[in-house]
Amino acid sequence: MDVIQQLREQAKKLLEEKKVEMVIGFGEGTELARTTPIFIKSPEEVSDLTWGPFCANNLVKYLIDYRNLPGKVAVVVKGCDSRSVNRLLEDNQIDREKVIVLGVPCPGQLDWHIVAAAVDPAANLKGFSDDGESFTINTDAGDYKFDKKETMLHKCLVCENPNPVVSDITIGKGQTVRNYEDRFAEVKTLEQLGTNERSAFWDKQFDRCLRCYACRNVCTVCTCRLCVFDQMQPAWVSKRNNLSENTAFHLIRAFHVAGRCVDCGECDRVCPVDIPLRKLNQKILKDLGDLFDTPTPGSEAGLASPLGEFTTGDPEEFN
Amino acid sequence: MDSRVVNKGQLPELLDKLARDYILVAPVREEETVTLFKQVSGANEVQLDYTNSDVSPKGCLFPQTEKTISYTYTGDTLEMKETDDSPKTAIFGVRPCDIKAILALDPVFEGKFLDKYYLEKRENTVIIGLSCTTILSTCFCTAFNSGPCDGKGADLMFTELGDKYYVEINTEKGKDLVEAYGQYFGKEDIDKLAKAKEEQAKKLEGQFRRKVDLEGVKQVLDENFELPYWDKVFRKCLGCGICTYVCPTCHCFDIFDFVTGEVTGDRFRCWDSCMFPEFTLMAGGHNPRPSQKERVRNRFMHKLKYHLDRYNLDGCVGCGRCISKCPVNIDITQIIKDLKEVGQNA
Repeated sequence: MDVIQQLREQAKKLLEEKKVEMVIGFGEGTELARTTPIFIKSPEEVSDLTWGPFCANNLVKYLIDYRNLPGKVAVVVKGCDSRSVNRLLEDNQIDREKVIVLGVPCPGQLDWHIVAAAVDPAANLKGFSDDGESFTINTDAGDYKFDKKETMLHKCLVCENPNPVVSDITIGKGQTVRNYEDRFAEVKTLEQLGTNERSAFWDKQFDRCLRCYACRNVCTVCTCRLCVFDQMQPAWVSKRNNLSENTAFHLIRAFHVAGRCVDCGECDRVCPVDIPLRKLNQKILKDLGDLFDTPTPGSEAGLASPLGEFTTGDPEEFN
Repeated sequence: MDSRVVNKGQLPELLDKLARDYILVAPVREEETVTLFKQVSGANEVQLDYTNSDVSPKGCLFPQTEKTISYTYTGDTLEMKETDDSPKTAIFGVRPCDIKAILALDPVFEGKFLDKYYLEKRENTVIIGLSCTTILSTCFCTAFNSGPCDGKGADLMFTELGDKYYVEINTEKGKDLVEAYGQYFGKEDIDKLAKAKEEQAKKLEGQFRRKVDLEGVKQVLDENFELPYWDKVFRKCLGCGICTYVCPTCHCFDIFDFVTGEVTGDRFRCWDSCMFPEFTLMAGGHNPRPSQKERVRNRFMHKLKYHLDRYNLDGCVGCGRCISKCPVNIDITQIIKDLKEVGQNA
């Protein structure tokens, strides 16, 4: 039985037995290579659930919206998303007892823009297969082969957790860790640049920021009830769109999620003007690894944030 | 309607001349995957082989951030300085959907209150359209009686045909520009090119994947402010401003002061988004759209009903940017389809 079938059966069972009030999963999208988050409340709707290399969204964010439902919520997670579950637990944002994690080992996610550019715009998706090195996308206009190394999201090329690190019901076969490249290769390249060049690089990126706040809203670590950027009195960061304010926004955001960012890459994926935000977070992750020898936040249950704890045995004074 | 022809080989020279005489704004490849309308200093910066820009060119007429006045209080007098006049501008390479969007913005800023900031720019701007050559999977301009080669609203409309551009002169402004740069605008093979353009338009119109039928949709919205349908759609919305900021017709703005020192400041207006919780939040704390459900409904009501009610113009032009950019795949064409169904089942 394939993953999609198993997923539907498990969801159906959970809803029929009234173990959960809602299943949050991936449904068919309106573009060939896209899916869309769906919120299923009845067993009849489970046939809407799907799975594949087009499930880039991190659905864990929605657990925050439904944490006050009286019953439990089940959520479909990939390996990277599962780190968000641990992170939300650590931040006391969700109650472990009220969440059922449907963990799906992930073969990697394709960049849908690359697929859309390669496939006949009129084509409809029939299915997909995975031979380990590439995905074959079957459509009514023919089959298309996508080499993983060339077409996957960057986060998937350096994926640490293809298998969910927290899961109540695991669906599908486990995947092996494949590091296609050095995880921090891009960050290291940036580090090599001089201060002025690095500054010029980021100035160019932040200059085109629209301040749409998609990076913030999609982030599972951003859980403040009133964000500092929405606060109008006092307006800590002005609404004016210019390099100075935009830079302030991005740097404050990066430091606010420092030590908690689980590297799910959603901020990077959703940016409408392709600002490589993950590079900022990765730089901090790399530094945290170098300085504190800690794994990626969320990758183990109960992992404290290196920047959020203090022990009396700390070799450095807290001052 | 008069028309001319420009040899492809001569376009760079024409653009260079325009950049010298005007503020020239054109599509620029900002990154490998990002194209934006920006001021250019010459043809070498212009990206001609683009499908459409990631953000619409509406910012040329309605900038995301715009200073409206500066003020200084000296103790007994308040000195106010208005912004400088808008310079002569030419926007080159505007696609038909974005041209149509400007026509949808005009009555908003030229209503009961004349918005001089927009209108001055509009007056001083020449819009040079460029017909599409590729139809994206998210495109649906044909739903709004437009098409990939529709030049309505442009001062000049360029259509690429082989090694030539067929140029339609639609306005006096366009005519003046053609006269001023007469050496680049020929007349040879004009009838043949006019015919070729028609054929090209027809061919491209057959390539649209999205067939969107709006019939009955406005009626559903006219008759139903509350619909159970909205309870479902909004759940996945993240509440970001992507759809409204990339949209060529969205035009909401906020006004605020940026005070430097106690008595000196600038007044700005900047884009606002009905997707944000603080949009129209009132001083007393009342929020007319308290949850994302009302905000999502408002956006689609505005696109498919309110703009038609107010101006008898479509509030959407089918550019497909919001479809392409929405992180959770909220798709206006799907919403149109669903609303139609709601109407049929009522």
